[in-house]
Amino acid sequence: MRYGMVIDLKRCFGCYGCQLSCKAEHATPPGVFFARVVKRESGTYPNVRKVFLPLLCMHCETPPCEAVCPTGATSKRPDGIVDIDREVCVGCRYCMQACPYEARYFHAKTRYYFGAQGPTEYEAVGYAKHPTGVVMKCNFCAHRLARGEEPSCVLTCPTHARTFGDLDDPQSAVSRLIKERGGEPLHPELGTGPSVYYLPA
Amino acid sequence: MSVFTDPFDRLMDDLQETARPQREWVDGRGLLLIAGHFLSGVGAGGWAFSSALGFLPGEITSLIVVGLGGLAHLLFLGRPERFWRMVRVRSSWVGRGFVGLNILMAAGVVSLALRATGLGGGGWASAVWGLSLVGAGIVMLYKGNVYAVCRAIPFWNSSLLPVLYVAYALRGGTALLLLFLPWTPLSADHGLIEVLELWIGLSAGVCILFYLTIMANSSVGARRSVEDLLRGRVAAAFYGGVVAVGFVIPVAIGLLNAVTPVSMGVLALVGLASLVGDFYVKYAIAKAGRYLPHVYQAR
Repeated sequence: MRYGMVIDLKRCFGCYGCQLSCKAEHATPPGVFFARVVKRESGTYPNVRKVFLPLLCMHCETPPCEAVCPTGATSKRPDGIVDIDREVCVGCRYCMQACPYEARYFHAKTRYYFGAQGPTEYEAVGYAKHPTGVVMKCNFCAHRLARGEEPSCVLTCPTHARTFGDLDDPQSAVSRLIKERGGEPLHPELGTGPSVYYLPA
Repeated sequence: MSVFTDPFDRLMDDLQETARPQREWVDGRGLLLIAGHFLSGVGAGGWAFSSALGFLPGEITSLIVVGLGGLAHLLFLGRPERFWRMVRVRSSWVGRGFVGLNILMAAGVVSLALRATGLGGGGWASAVWGLSLVGAGIVMLYKGNVYAVCRAIPFWNSSLLPVLYVAYALRGGTALLLLFLPWTPLSADHGLIEVLELWIGLSAGVCILFYLTIMANSSVGARRSVEDLLRGRVAAAFYGGVVAVGFVIPVAIGLLNAVTPVSMGVLALVGLASLVGDFYVKYAIAKAGRYLPHVYQAR
């Protein structure tokens, strides 16, 4: 079993639904985006293109963040999810420098979206589960997977651009999509073996 | 480049960048990490030279400087109370550095204590001193490797960086000695130390030149970093701190000394300028770091 995700760049139209649903699911503080969409324009007028690239933790086969962690707080689970033990993390942020996908965030201090007004009821409850002084990141919504549900970003995507499943199962939807549509990971040259694949636009 | 007072707004701006600048290890509390790298490097280099020369004030100062470097590292951590967990040396250069720093501190203190109690002549004392040098070696070596293994930041991902950091640590050690010599009755060859300092300084300068030349002809992210360093947001620190203070002043005084011997006070200025340059090298390299771009923009 190795969880993985396939993102169809042909279907993604940059609605930020994944980004918002992830923030709602995890109640991440301001400035933290476990899932985010990068938008870039490329080319020169009149031949221009807009590219939408959804990013999240790639849950690599050989995670550079795990290798550099001096405390062992970052580890790879048997199901392929790369997770952080927030009780062990020392907050050195070495993993943030090592992650080529910029998927990690340091939670320095609790901030609220409405500043001096203090936390909303949602923030007061949601942010309580995020300790300060440690690094945080996407965990493929492990709590949802434990309940037999899909990750929040997959469920929310209005164009079904995201598919989630077992990369070790050749018959799974993710494996078939990768094979049939020529799925490629981001920065394969780094040899990290990401579990998130992109189908060409 | 926009200027933001709020880190959240700055992050939003950074996320729009094609090659996002790294800020965690240089801005705000990140300066503590740069200070930690600078102090521990200078202290380790200072210990190596001072103990080789049997220069007690230098040895004591070097250990204090290393200790201050450790403290700066500690203050940078998000959870400093968990520092004792940083012992995973199998694959983490931060873990190796932490262990090396502790070896240097412990063996250094024991080595000084053995000498103070008149037991400094035996085999045990030599072994402890050797161990302290191993610790100093690890401390000098680990910092460059910490950066060099980060493939996410192309500008740092170079095997030249560890060499550069070791060179600067050794130079820092001699600079520390030069800073002390005017006020101590050390019967060392001051001229030799100054020549050594300049030689290491010139080597480090050549190393930086090679490093920047390679990076300027490397990947997009690395080229953006070099632009930052030479023409962008890090240029003032690079030209002012690294080149002018850290390189031109020591070399100019060194050349002057070759023609007309200068006073010990002026040699101390060489040490001070070199130390400032050492700090700014670490600052500039960290500040110029940019993450690998995910989507390449046509220019």
